[in-house]
Amino acid sequence: MSETYTLPVGPLHVALEEPMYFDVRVEGETVRSVELSAGHVHRGMEALAMNRNWLQNITLTERVCSLCSNSHPTTYCMAVENLAGVVVPERAEYLRVIADEVKRIASHLFNVGIMAHLVGFDSLFMHAMEIREIMQDLKEGVYGNRMNLGALAIGGCRYDLDEETTAFMRAKLRELDPLLTELTRVYATDPLILKRTRGIGVLPMEEARRYEVVGPVARASGIAYDVRRKAPYAVYPHLDFEVQTDTAGDVHSRAMLRLREAAQSAVILEQCLENIPEGPICLPGAVFIPEGEAVARSEAPRGEVFYYVRSDGSDSPQRLKWRVPTYMNWEALQVMMAGCQVADIPLIVNSIDPCISCTER
Amino acid sequence: MLPFLKIMVKNLLAGPSTDPFPFAPAHTPKRFRGRACHDKEKCILCGICRHVCAAGAIQLRVTEDGMAVHWVLWHNSCVFCGLCAHHCPTKALTMSDDWHMTHRGEERFDQREVSFVPYGQCSQCGARIHPRPESVVQQLGSRYPERFMMCPVCKRQELARRVTPAKPSITTGESDERDSA
Repeated sequence: MSETYTLPVGPLHVALEEPMYFDVRVEGETVRSVELSAGHVHRGMEALAMNRNWLQNITLTERVCSLCSNSHPTTYCMAVENLAGVVVPERAEYLRVIADEVKRIASHLFNVGIMAHLVGFDSLFMHAMEIREIMQDLKEGVYGNRMNLGALAIGGCRYDLDEETTAFMRAKLRELDPLLTELTRVYATDPLILKRTRGIGVLPMEEARRYEVVGPVARASGIAYDVRRKAPYAVYPHLDFEVQTDTAGDVHSRAMLRLREAAQSAVILEQCLENIPEGPICLPGAVFIPEGEAVARSEAPRGEVFYYVRSDGSDSPQRLKWRVPTYMNWEALQVMMAGCQVADIPLIVNSIDPCISCTER
Repeated sequence: MLPFLKIMVKNLLAGPSTDPFPFAPAHTPKRFRGRACHDKEKCILCGICRHVCAAGAIQLRVTEDGMAVHWVLWHNSCVFCGLCAHHCPTKALTMSDDWHMTHRGEERFDQREVSFVPYGQCSQCGARIHPRPESVVQQLGSRYPERFMMCPVCKRQELARRVTPAKPSITTGESDERDSA
C-alpha cells in the first residue's frame, strides 16, 4: 500500500468554496506533495479598470471580492490621493477606519465559521454565522448594504455617522462583545475542534519568512507583521490596539488569532466612535488627478493589500495594478499540506482564508 | 461538544432568528441602499450620474425634436453603489429603501426608472438651455432670477449692457495721455 498516486482536487470540488486546482500526490491517506494551478476565475478587472474613469473604479475595486470589499477601494482611494497630493479630512480618516474594522470582524467570523463547518460541527458554524449577523445588521443599518458598503469616495467618505447611527453601532458592539468572548472560549476548549485542528497545517516561522506570507497566516507563525503598525495609514497611529501573534502556526492557532483580532477590532471601533472629530467628511468638489504614479498599502482582513496607479493626466487610469495577500499565502500551502491527511486538505486551505476572486480578478 | 451544549440549548429555546419574510414584513433600515429614484423636478441634465455610473445603467437620450431628454436608469444593470446619488449636485437622484426587485422574465425591459426632462428656454431669445428647475432657481438664481433663465449668449450681452455706460466715451490718444498723467 505504499504506492503513490495523484489525486486531482478541483477546480470545482465540494471541499472548495472557490475554483482552485490541486494535484495532490498521496500515499495511502497521507499527502506527499501538492501542486497548485490557478487562473480559473480570471475576470480581466485590471484591463477593465483602464477603460473606466477614476470614479467608476471605486465601485469596480469594491467588487473585486466581497469579504474585503472595503479594503480594496480604501487602498485604491489612498493611492489616488497620494498621486493627487491631497489630504483627506480627519473625520473621513476615522470613518474609513470604522468601515474597515467592521468588515474585518465580519470577515474573520466568516472564516472561523467555515472552519467549524469543515470540521463537521455545523451547529457551531451556524452559531458563528449568527454572531456575524450582528455585524451584517450593523452594515445594513449604517451603510445601507450587507456586503458592499459603498463608503468610499476619492477625497473622503460618502457616509456620515450621526447620533442615531453612532448609538446603533455602540449597541451592536455591546451585543457582540459577550457572544464573541463565548465563541472564543468554545473554539479554545471544544475537544472536537482541538482534535481536528491542532498540529495540522503547520507553517514554521522560517518557512513563513521564506514564502513571505502576510496577514493572519504570518502572525500565527510568529511574524508580527501588520501594516496598521508597520506602515500606519489613516488614524491607526492614534489608536491603541495590540497586534496579535502566535507561535504554533497551525490551523487552530490561525483561527484563534482571527477571533482575537476580531475582539481587537471591536476595541478599535469603540475608540474611533469615542474620538471621532467633527468636520467635513469629504473634500469639496472633484479631485484633480495629475500625471504620475503612486502606491498605497493597507491591512485587509487577509493581509497586506498593495495598489499601484499610473495616470497620464486623463480621466481614467493608465494602469491600475493590485497585489493581494492570498497570492503569497497559497504558495505556502505546499509546506502546510505536506504530510497531512487527505481529509484535512479543505481545513488547511480554509485556514489561509483564500480569496481566489481577489487573486485572479 | 461540551462547551457548546449550553449555547446550543439556549439557541434551541430562542427559536429561529431569521425573518419569516414572505409571511411577515422584513425589517428595512432607513439608510438601506435600494432602488434609485429620480426626481425630474430637480434634474438639470448635467450628466454626472451617467459619468460616474460604474455599471453603465444610466442613459440620457435626446428626443428627436431636440427639446427634451429621456433620462433612463436600468434597474437590472444597477449595482446600487449609490455613486450617482452622491455626486448629483441637485439631489435629484436618491437611493430609496425599496429592495423589492423580483419580476417576471417578460417584465425585464420594464425594470427601469424613466423621466422625461424637457430642456429650458432662454427667457430672451428662446434658445435651448439646460433646465433650470424651481429648486435650483431658489438656491442659486434668487438674486437675478431673470438673468438666471438666459442662454449664455444673452447672459453675456446682458452683462455687457449692464457694465458699459449708456453713452460710451470715445477713447482717443489724448484721453489716454491724460489718464496716464
